[in-house]
Amino acid sequence: MIRRVTGAAAAVALLAGLTACGGGSDEAGASTMLTYWMFQDRTPQAGEVVDKIRADFEKVNPGVTVKIVKIPKDDYNTKLGSAISSGSGPDVGVLDQPLVPRFALDGTIKEVPAGLVDEKAFYEGALETNRVNAKLYGLPIDHTAVALFYNKKFVPTPPKTWDELKQIAAKVHQADPKTAGMVVPKGDGYGGWMWPGFVAGAGGDMVDVQNKKIHFNEQPAVDALQLWVDLLPSSPREITDSDKSFENGLAGMMISGPWDVANIKDQFPDLQLGVAPLPYKTEPAGNIGGENAVVFSKGKNADLAWKWLAFITNADNNTQLAQALGGFPVNIAAAERDAATFGPDQAAFLEQLKVARARPAVPEWIQINDEIIAPALESALSGKSTAKESLDDAAAKTRTLLGWTG
Amino acid sequence: MAPPVLAEKPTVTPRPGRRRRPGFGRRDHLIGWLLIAPAVVYFLVFLLFPALAALYYSFTDWNLRTAPNWVGLANYTDLLFDDAKYPHFWQSIKVTLQYTIIAVPLTLGTALIQALLLNAIHRGSNFFRLLLFLPVVTAEAAVGAIWRWLYDPQYGLINTFIELFGIPRQNWLNTPELVIPALSFIAAWQCGISMIIYLAGLKGIPTSIREAAVIDGAGPVQRFWRVVVPMLRPTTFYLLVTGVIAALQVFGLVYVIFSGGGNRSVTGGPEQSGLTYVLHLYLYAFRYDAMGAACAMSFILFLFIMIVTAMQFKFVKQEAS
Repeated sequence: MIRRVTGAAAAVALLAGLTACGGGSDEAGASTMLTYWMFQDRTPQAGEVVDKIRADFEKVNPGVTVKIVKIPKDDYNTKLGSAISSGSGPDVGVLDQPLVPRFALDGTIKEVPAGLVDEKAFYEGALETNRVNAKLYGLPIDHTAVALFYNKKFVPTPPKTWDELKQIAAKVHQADPKTAGMVVPKGDGYGGWMWPGFVAGAGGDMVDVQNKKIHFNEQPAVDALQLWVDLLPSSPREITDSDKSFENGLAGMMISGPWDVANIKDQFPDLQLGVAPLPYKTEPAGNIGGENAVVFSKGKNADLAWKWLAFITNADNNTQLAQALGGFPVNIAAAERDAATFGPDQAAFLEQLKVARARPAVPEWIQINDEIIAPALESALSGKSTAKESLDDAAAKTRTLLGWTG
Repeated sequence: MAPPVLAEKPTVTPRPGRRRRPGFGRRDHLIGWLLIAPAVVYFLVFLLFPALAALYYSFTDWNLRTAPNWVGLANYTDLLFDDAKYPHFWQSIKVTLQYTIIAVPLTLGTALIQALLLNAIHRGSNFFRLLLFLPVVTAEAAVGAIWRWLYDPQYGLINTFIELFGIPRQNWLNTPELVIPALSFIAAWQCGISMIIYLAGLKGIPTSIREAAVIDGAGPVQRFWRVVVPMLRPTTFYLLVTGVIAALQVFGLVYVIFSGGGNRSVTGGPEQSGLTYVLHLYLYAFRYDAMGAACAMSFILFLFIMIVTAMQFKFVKQEAS
């Protein structure tokens, strides 16, 4: 008997708990609730920054609650996809740059309403990562790029041009055959992400989406790949394939992003680190990464969602937010005002981001990058074919995949 | 399964008649159902339903996000015949078969040797069993990090070791030809479960047979080939079948080995030399936005595993003799 009573009591308590939860969300519904999805905070401090911006937004928009849902970056795309397909997706949220074209073309996200923001207030490269078929589908919230890391012990002044880069790499390796000139990127997805920065540095372009033309087998791209091939004799793989070869002082230079500056300062305090913009052939240029934010078609309160995105990217808030996310402000006014707070090691990235080029806005780009361009780079780097041959082959494969003719 | 169980409950209450033979009453059925319910529910919800759903999605262009459209057999025919769409599909099959052919015998051999050694010692065998089993329970990410160090072209212990024998240093994980042997070696190091099963098999060999062999004048080598190997045949067969199935599905190991360097993207090692079938499938499902095609890949693998397993049952001797 006693057991039955406690069982019943437990059941009642459970039901009460459930209704209480249900009631909670109903109450919140009285005010306007906006659900925002983002990647898990990198540090506790970053979480505080995000929280402060949210509180400020709620203060200037009475009756509005922003519910922030944080999801580990590795699971984010899967969770987002399944939430959207089951109709429980967010109103607004972060989206990886290369995913914007996919989501835009299948109608999962909304177009940015005219007049929401002044497009000129944003860095062009970062803004362009949101443009698909000449329409804007989101706002950048932070951006990042790779730059040249150099060890001042081997490289007193960083190279500015490709010729200087080759000379310095050769000199470093000549002085000590156990030291590599530079960690040359590989033909994998990561190398494929960095390579367009070099193509642009020779005045080239990857593709022309509007006219459906492939450009990454033309002379500037061939030169960019040839540069990597030419660097290999002074930068043997058996040295640079070692774990953290640059950090351990086995290589004079490497190409990496701002995330490694913090790691190096923390774990290799003795390394005399310098960071410079990427060397170029004809014009300074670079690649781009970072986070965009978009408004979902199935979400509620779209107007408010756009207002939130305009708020987190405005000149007042964007620097703190971008720093919390591990990148750089996308708002030019914010970046210029706060440039001094970034420190000398980060200055090179800020320079780099002014000339950053967005990835081609093709939904299949990740696949083309990983499955076609990366193997082509590797084929030339391993000497199995020339740069021109491998890129011609990759261009042909890309044309077939996309059904392009040019 | 729950609703019918509840519905039956009231009819159970009357006690069975006195004269009835003791047997399997309704109440016992109910208890039986209740006892297997968790397993049945688990099977239906987490295995059968997703498998059937995946079969359906394999005939669609589903991308995890928008409503799936029926495309018939297109995913299957494209995978098999369209090189432009799936440039590395056949490469992933080649890699997986190479891995299976090298890793499975290596794993079984290592497991058998370890089991024989453990069976031979009496003092401290628990301690050594624990040591040899540790690689199985080590977190996969840690295994990846450790082996990346061991295979490091500059500081790696493996290179230091082979240099003692005059073999030149190798860039293990970055030389296409060496990637599969290097991965197989890690798999063999993780053979603990096979080792335990072999050990059980060895304990099951009656001592009388061994003694009879000794009396007949068989030396250790002869005893091994004429007694131990034939008597272990059922064990070996079981390990072979399960080992082949596991090797054809290898994923975690390649993933951690090639993603270990932080920003490295997992495109399957140098020149796709480590792009195993399931890694390829994973990339299409979660990176290239093609869940429908990934589901089709999983069914192609399912059929392949079924055929390979059936062939093993038909052609491999499995009885002890």
